Amino acid sequence: MATLRDIKASISSMDSTRQITRTMEMVATAKIKKAQERIESARPYALAMMEVLENVARFVTGVSHPLLELHPERRRIVAIAITSDRGMCGAFNSNILRLTEEIIGRETEAGVEVALISVGKKAVSYFRYRGVEPMATYRDISDKPTFADARSIAEHVIEAYTAGEIDGVEIVFNRFKSVAEQRPEIHELLPVAKAVVEVDDAGVDPITPEYIFEPDAKSVLERLLPTYVETLIYRALMESAAAEQGARRTAMKSATDNANEMVTTLTRSYNRARQASITNEIAEIVGGAAALEDA
Amino acid sequence: MARTLLCEIVTPERIMYSGEAEMLIVPALDGELGVLPLHAPMVAALREGEVRVKHGDDSVEWFAVSGGYLQVHEDKAIVLADEAVASSQIEVDHLRESMRLIEARLEELRGAATSDEVDQLHRDLAWQAMQVKVASRH
Repeated sequence: MATLRDIKASISSMDSTRQITRTMEMVATAKIKKAQERIESARPYALAMMEVLENVARFVTGVSHPLLELHPERRRIVAIAITSDRGMCGAFNSNILRLTEEIIGRETEAGVEVALISVGKKAVSYFRYRGVEPMATYRDISDKPTFADARSIAEHVIEAYTAGEIDGVEIVFNRFKSVAEQRPEIHELLPVAKAVVEVDDAGVDPITPEYIFEPDAKSVLERLLPTYVETLIYRALMESAAAEQGARRTAMKSATDNANEMVTTLTRSYNRARQASITNEIAEIVGGAAALEDA
Repeated sequence: MARTLLCEIVTPERIMYSGEAEMLIVPALDGELGVLPLHAPMVAALREGEVRVKHGDDSVEWFAVSGGYLQVHEDKAIVLADEAVASSQIEVDHLRESMRLIEARLEELRGAATSDEVDQLHRDLAWQAMQVKVASRH
């Protein structure tokens, strides 16, 4: 049985763990708020861009653009795995890595080569350890992703797709559903879905005004498509950043709760052991006294 | 009161500027383009350059943008800029220093095969030069 001193040592170590997890929980809570604000402040641009895209799409028919082109053969695709740079966030990263492995497994079986872009230290080190050479890696951006980061990722895939080196791009990231819920999702990034640029005439307001395009609708659209891809990636990076903090908060909250429970249990056995040793001592004294009386 | 135009300059990260103006001038691909209230709906692609927001009292606000789009619809003009900065917030000394570094780096790379880095450096240099130019405007 553990001695009193052992139990006391466990209690104090559990207590300091609890202090750390509680602090991390509070830090994550504060960071969720900031990450959410960033998502909010990026919304006007994304919305306005979608509106422009829709307007342009209405006036350009039979658009052809390398990013819209569905390649006849699927030989090589790129998976973009977005993870965090830091751990202590539950299943946040393992969900992404598992989904990515699923893509790799499924595509390899179909005879498609999968190239990787790892975002976040967790994905970088995981795939390096597994001997998968990534096409590109990004680190230290999971805390505060910038549009420039998204643009740099987009450049890699847009260039390769346009050159015909790859035939598809999928992005795997955690969507921020709520403070307590993150959902790992896979989105097809390229080719850009035709639906994005083909507006159903039935849904169009008949009194929509004629737009003037400068220099012309086709060139606007050609410039807009890469921006669209960049915006999608930027969005995924920010969703992931917010989801990471959410996941960390949940993980640290349950760690704190568990530590609380442990401390309670340990304190109880500490008291019991203390009581037992006192009882023991009294029994010994009583026994000793009785022995003396008998003599 | 004269009719005004609601101008917004939006970057992927945030709304940079929002306010009523008499006129908005943007750098379209084929040259500068002015927008007044009651303008017909329009979408324009923008190049790197300066955006001017003119107010009723003849005051002008200057912004440097690194390209993007403009959408005009019902007295609302939205500039979707890849990057944008107000002239009052441009740190000229900092930019000059950074441009010197880029030029030094380009000098080092001279003669080497043209690489992505060179292209990127040229783009950065042009963008920073544009900001310095816009900073001198107010």
